[in-house]
Amino acid sequence: MDRNYSRDLLEAIQKADRAGANAVVDAWAMGRSFHRVIPELLAPTLETFGKLWAQGTGGVSLATGYVASKVAEDVLSRLLLESASRETPALPAKGPVLVGNVEDDFHPLGRKMVAAFLRAAGWEVHDLGVDIGPAQFVDMAEETGARVIGASAMMFTTAKNVAKLRDEIDRRGLRGRLQLAVGGAVFKLRPELVEAFGGDGTAASAAEAPALFERLWQQALTFEPAPGGMRP
Amino acid sequence: MTLDPPPPRCIACSIFRREIESLQASGALDLAVDYLPSMLHMVPDRLDTRLAASLTEAGAQGQEVLIAFGDCCGHMEDFRAKPGIDRTEGINCCEIILGREAYRRLRREGAFFLMPEWALSWRQVFMSQLGLLGTNAKTFMQEMHTRLIYLDTGIQPVPWQALNEASEYLGLPVEVLPVSLDPLLASLREAARSARRHDDR
Repeated sequence: MDRNYSRDLLEAIQKADRAGANAVVDAWAMGRSFHRVIPELLAPTLETFGKLWAQGTGGVSLATGYVASKVAEDVLSRLLLESASRETPALPAKGPVLVGNVEDDFHPLGRKMVAAFLRAAGWEVHDLGVDIGPAQFVDMAEETGARVIGASAMMFTTAKNVAKLRDEIDRRGLRGRLQLAVGGAVFKLRPELVEAFGGDGTAASAAEAPALFERLWQQALTFEPAPGGMRP
Repeated sequence: MTLDPPPPRCIACSIFRREIESLQASGALDLAVDYLPSMLHMVPDRLDTRLAASLTEAGAQGQEVLIAFGDCCGHMEDFRAKPGIDRTEGINCCEIILGREAYRRLRREGAFFLMPEWALSWRQVFMSQLGLLGTNAKTFMQEMHTRLIYLDTGIQPVPWQALNEASEYLGLPVEVLPVSLDPLLASLREAARSARRHDDR
């Protein structure tokens, strides 16, 4: 009987077993092109994991979420290494997009996980780090041509600073053309804050961020087409 | 003749228990205090529920309330905005103890803080609550932080054994930072005054 690699990978992630997860990836890659690992194994598994995470079921903890993002990074690193040796692109280029923790927010985990899942989904991600002011976000978006900013805030106090970022985007006349994705614990606990603080969308888990960014990127393009060469 | 209003009731995180008791014992603080378990920080929706119940109970008795917590649950700022209620200023217990500038500077440097109560229950926090077992604990902490800082409030002896075990398990060096209780006291007093001002509006 054929091995169910996706189920085995999911189980390893749910046990927060990074080495075990990578062993499943290795076993899958035997006799297959490693270039297929993301669309055929990793992405569908992370999608299932993301649903369990969003539902709060399936034994998903901080540790399992973290391990899932590390597995995504591990796969991407190997893919990039292999692509470099073959001189072929690892993934279709999407983006660029930005992620960062808003001003006064020093909780990097969620942001780092989002960045890992986005990169594994083929996005060019500029990770700005923690405690990023509104002007810094928007300056960097203008500099890089990013159409989506992912702003992370853990608590209500810091989530209020998302509203300042919204104001900065609007003040520069970029509303619509530059979409604002928001995330973090407080938005999960109080989804009404997404709209209240001016977010254009959120995802129930970091694993679902790629789908959100895809949707927001398309939304941004309806306001103004992207310059040549920049598209997902 | 008008009587002075009674001091507000304080609902505090147990992370501050020993420090508040010390301030009470020294006569610096005259407050009746109820404590909620600090481990509720790990389950914010449960903290929301427990705190709402405590505030409702206090409100039924007509008491002003001072919340000695950081912004640790989704509705903390809604609670704070109600008449007769205010909260200690600070994002979390560490900022309340350290003050804003020191907290921001040390967080920017990658510090992970251990308050005295949590230093003793680090296994529960990292292993049971966060599920960080084996190599994941080190990888995770080393990726997010540069060092552990124990905030020594001077109430109890520095728990060196627990700190060394946490340092070994989490793969980060540990420092002990002596801190004054003055910022906590000032924050409690200001929140108590402010809870009253709410009523004056």
